[in-house]
Amino acid sequence: MKKLLVLLFATVLVLSACSSKSDNGGNKGGNAADTSKITVWAWDPNFNIKALNLAKEDYAAKDSKLTVDIIENAQNDIVQKLNTGMSSGTTKGLPNIVLIEDYRAQSFLQAYPDMFFDLSSYFKAEDFADYKLGPTSVDGKHYGLPFDSGAAGVFVRTDYLKEAGYTLADMQDITWEQYIEIGKKVKEKTGKNWISLDPTDLSLIRMMTQSTGAWYLKEDGKTANIAGNEAMKEAFEVYEKIMKANIVKPHADWSQLVANFNSGDVASYPTGNWFMPSIAAEASQSGKWGVAPLPKLSKTPNSVHAASIGGSSFYVLNVPGKEKAAEFLGATFGSDSDLYQKLITEVGAIGTYKPAAAGDAYKQPNEFFGGQKVVEDFAKWTAEVPKVNFGMHTYAIEDILVVEMQNFLNGKKLDQVLKDAQSQADAQIK
Amino acid sequence: MDKLKKFLTYLFLSVAAVVSIFPFLWMISSATNKSVDVTKGKLMPGAFLGENLKKVLDTIDIGPALWNSAKISVTTTIIALLIASLAGYGFEIFRSKAKDRIFSILLLSMMIPFAAIMVPLYRMFGGISKVIPAIGIDTMTAVILPSVTTAFLIFFFRQNTKMFPKDMLEAGRIDGLNELGIFFRIYVPTMKTTYAAAAIITFMSSWNNYLWPLVVLQSPEKRTIPLLISNLGSSYAPDYGVIMLVILIATLPTAIVFFLMQKHFVAGMTGSVK
Repeated sequence: MKKLLVLLFATVLVLSACSSKSDNGGNKGGNAADTSKITVWAWDPNFNIKALNLAKEDYAAKDSKLTVDIIENAQNDIVQKLNTGMSSGTTKGLPNIVLIEDYRAQSFLQAYPDMFFDLSSYFKAEDFADYKLGPTSVDGKHYGLPFDSGAAGVFVRTDYLKEAGYTLADMQDITWEQYIEIGKKVKEKTGKNWISLDPTDLSLIRMMTQSTGAWYLKEDGKTANIAGNEAMKEAFEVYEKIMKANIVKPHADWSQLVANFNSGDVASYPTGNWFMPSIAAEASQSGKWGVAPLPKLSKTPNSVHAASIGGSSFYVLNVPGKEKAAEFLGATFGSDSDLYQKLITEVGAIGTYKPAAAGDAYKQPNEFFGGQKVVEDFAKWTAEVPKVNFGMHTYAIEDILVVEMQNFLNGKKLDQVLKDAQSQADAQIK
Repeated sequence: MDKLKKFLTYLFLSVAAVVSIFPFLWMISSATNKSVDVTKGKLMPGAFLGENLKKVLDTIDIGPALWNSAKISVTTTIIALLIASLAGYGFEIFRSKAKDRIFSILLLSMMIPFAAIMVPLYRMFGGISKVIPAIGIDTMTAVILPSVTTAFLIFFFRQNTKMFPKDMLEAGRIDGLNELGIFFRIYVPTMKTTYAAAAIITFMSSWNNYLWPLVVLQSPEKRTIPLLISNLGSSYAPDYGVIMLVILIATLPTAIVFFLMQKHFVAGMTGSVK
């Protein structure tokens, strides 16, 4: 027995010794007083992390003394960590730079105004796409440096279109009703479904609503704008038409979505430009794809052929090392046109820095998309995206809408659906 | 009639067994498939185990993460068992009205979800960091400390102590053992099965703990296995074969601990003293 006890205590001692040793060894995650090092949090090794590494390489030539420590965290994990850290008022352990999705940005900026560092003097805001500045700034102060464009377009199989008697030219400047008609024809001729949808993800509604300059929330970013929102009403109607046209193949998660296209089962998908690498992953479909502008709503005025979906921006936290971090961002993503060319050729990320659009990489025809200059097109649409205030509650409202959408598809009256969603949202976000 | 009854019983049990074990089998077969096959819903084992394993070893720091998880789980389990069994023993053997009241307050704390105390807890550790950085935020100790004792574990030991024959205490006292001696030489050996059950419960919850390590650990080299897995699924195009293999590897230690102590576990859950 004694032996066992001794063994137990020895294990505890050894283990705690191990852990304290590594504690002293590497205090890398925190914002140590040492400002020759900055920490960055971002997600996705093949996209954001890769882009950051390119920026880091570039910056090493300008300031070789600064160490940039790029740490990969899942997006939801970053949100959780930031919320816990900031709401407890403890800055220890927080990074210098963090990537935040545009939909969520205001909820952080408004809830923790003291935690973010004003970047207005570190980059020229007017150099960036106008719509990106809505989510990234508060009261005219720019807290976020815009990163990737979420500009949307319709990815479409041109070979299926041809079989149904259409070309990519027929997809220019169309309404959503026309989009559905083409889809029905394609389904009839090829047997392939036209679009892949996840019933719990209303990105279609988001794109349609934004294309009119409206959003789930009013311009103050705090009041729900659902009942009486003409754009959303029409978006719901269009969504119902799509669902009832028998042209939808459902997917439950990202992997099924990608599989639907890589297997050739689905012919088109309206989404953000960041979907491009996933489509291009299936090399055997090279030359069979094209990208068309987003269709627009026919009844709601002001609807344009552009909207954004996803997309994120960099933020500097108000912790020691913030000036260095801001300089790093300003010198790389804030002003380096060459970096943006590399982002396109090496990562496939399209930025929102307007001067970069004049660069060579933007003008390259893409063989996978039948020689179409897709990057140039997306850059053009990026400039046309209406600026809206995503506000603080985009995802909270979407959770409500997902349920109400099912009620609507099951026959509930649309006005009642929107009214109910409005009152639920009012009760929840106040 | 009897035969029919037996048949139906077995049918029901077989269906239940398949339902509960199917996800596990799917995970194993997915670990041997390519990501594309996994997403297409392939159920049969494939030939890509080697390739997936190579990817895991080449691109993912799974070794350090396993080691971190092991350090945290083993330390937590040992300390938690020691503290909770002492407390449970004390509450039951040296009973008084006041202690019973304290015990009910302790039980109430089981009702508070962890998410509710997370922010104050983080704040506390933020404060500690300023004084003693070695046990503050971003240290293994910060992960271990909040979970070294739980009301549930104390409750579990107290309930089992009820079945401990008090005569043995008297015998120990007559033979000249002090109170601590009685605990370590009589109580602990007698309650082995209870300890085994408690060890499994604590080890598993500590191994799978996600939320608290997530917020308190910042450096990538201190990541535990659940955090690593969460990261793998975060990219825009996750590799499901690799993820499943990592999850499979992460499941092994808990499975091994469970199978080693299975006999004691069952005995411990159903009442330990013979």
